[in-house]
Amino acid sequence: MSILSTLFPYDIYKGLKLTGRYFGRNFFSANRKKVRANLKHITVEYPEVPVHLAPRFRGRLQMLRDEQGEIKCICCLACERICPTQVITIEKDKKEGRKLPFPKRYTFEMERCIFCEFCVEACAYDSIILNHQFELAAYNREDFSHGTEGVFQNMFKPTPVGTFSVSADDDGNAPHY
Amino acid sequence: MFKNEELEINLGPQHPSTHGVLRVKLRLDGETVRHCYPVIGYLHRGVEKICENKTFFQGQVWTDRMDYVAAVSNNLGWAEAIEKLMGISVPRRAKYIRTLLTELNRISSHLLWLGTHAMDIGAMTVFLYAFREREEILDVFESFCGARLTTTAFRIGGLRDDVPPGFEAKVQAFLDRFLPCIDEYEDLLTENRIWKKRTIGVAPISAEECLAMGVTGPVLRAAGVPYDIRKAFPYAAYDEMQFEVPTRMEADTYARYLVRLEEMRQSHRIVQQCLDGMPEGAVMAKLPKILKSEVAEVYHPIEAPKGELGYYLVGEKGGLNPYRFHVRGPSFVNLQALPKMTEGKLLADVIAAIGTLDVVLGEVDR
Repeated sequence: MSILSTLFPYDIYKGLKLTGRYFGRNFFSANRKKVRANLKHITVEYPEVPVHLAPRFRGRLQMLRDEQGEIKCICCLACERICPTQVITIEKDKKEGRKLPFPKRYTFEMERCIFCEFCVEACAYDSIILNHQFELAAYNREDFSHGTEGVFQNMFKPTPVGTFSVSADDDGNAPHY
Repeated sequence: MFKNEELEINLGPQHPSTHGVLRVKLRLDGETVRHCYPVIGYLHRGVEKICENKTFFQGQVWTDRMDYVAAVSNNLGWAEAIEKLMGISVPRRAKYIRTLLTELNRISSHLLWLGTHAMDIGAMTVFLYAFREREEILDVFESFCGARLTTTAFRIGGLRDDVPPGFEAKVQAFLDRFLPCIDEYEDLLTENRIWKKRTIGVAPISAEECLAMGVTGPVLRAAGVPYDIRKAFPYAAYDEMQFEVPTRMEADTYARYLVRLEEMRQSHRIVQQCLDGMPEGAVMAKLPKILKSEVAEVYHPIEAPKGELGYYLVGEKGGLNPYRFHVRGPSFVNLQALPKMTEGKLLADVIAAIGTLDVVLGEVDR
């Protein structure tokens, strides 16, 4: 190291110039409003400001109903067979006034799900989707089991956990997924 | 009082600089490392055995979880190994999209390495700058396949979906911004005298030792061997891409840092070429409904961000799952260079050596 660089530490100056530039830019442009992240603001004030999710985001498994309110699933067991972690269990049944089989029990154990979307890909009847819910924490292990009957009748809408979400609006409404 | 005793200590498995659950048994003489013994296996899940019991389609989700900072690379190797096993040819557009995503993944993996490695050595600031760009790459992955880390990006025979609308613009916006960002990292580190003192001459390993132990990737290239599987055995669309393989002769931590930065620039070049020359057409090959293998044996290496990632598959007649599956993981093989790099050196250099090898323990233990 030459005496010149000891007297004038150009390397240190270069780094400080960079960090100083960003510090100045953020210091004078930052505001405390709830804004989405853009190039100027890298971070999002997440719990208060809902994060942006891509349309293909893979969240929790959800079953769909058709226009008449019937469950679209016809128990072909494609999702059960393709699931790499065996989290889906279906029990077939007949129902009055319905030609196709009806899922008497459709159990989804979320604590083991790896959100790979293979089940949705395998479904030929578009009867299941992965919705955009990602805040899936719960207090009890039972809350991770979802089904079509009994106390866990929540396969058709986002998990109730979402209602406790910190990103709920001021009136206490759950975020829309 | 003046006893000359060697002290045995544990580094890890919870030490923040070991990037996972790596335990290193060290025998120290004062500050000097006399003996270094990495203990692995804390994250062992038996991925190879699990994949043997799953169908070819299902196995991909386990490859995500090996090298979790470069999941797209792992997916590519898995998909291509099975395509090789079954003789499936992939549409050209799918190959281009695969190459694009894999190179973006290389950039993101190197950015994570840069941030954490610099933070281990003591430069905290770079971490924030590196993760700023990594975030954008993960957003690109999310828009393409719906997940940021465990991507499951590809399918056997091509891709599940074409790119979403607005994908090209998003990647282009990232590319336009990224090259000045690398210069920013260089401003912070390359000339910095503290960084130079901490890296130049630290953890050296010669080309002969690298080749003898099978060390690949940037560690080998920093020792002067221009071995890159993208050039040596082209896969995906790399035979149509123009890029250079950066090498250095110094074989120390600083050289590896420069090699990886240059690799990011070359990856940027490849992504730009993929974007400009993106062909039209289908993204999925015509496949039978159920994938069955013949009696065959394939080894398919790809250049993962950490080095040579090889998938070895044995198929049986009419088999729905691989008869035998083996992964030659770059982190696992590279980690055995750690004792060579550190023995006889100072204790503080062990941290630099672990960082410069860029090991991911999910892949070491599998």
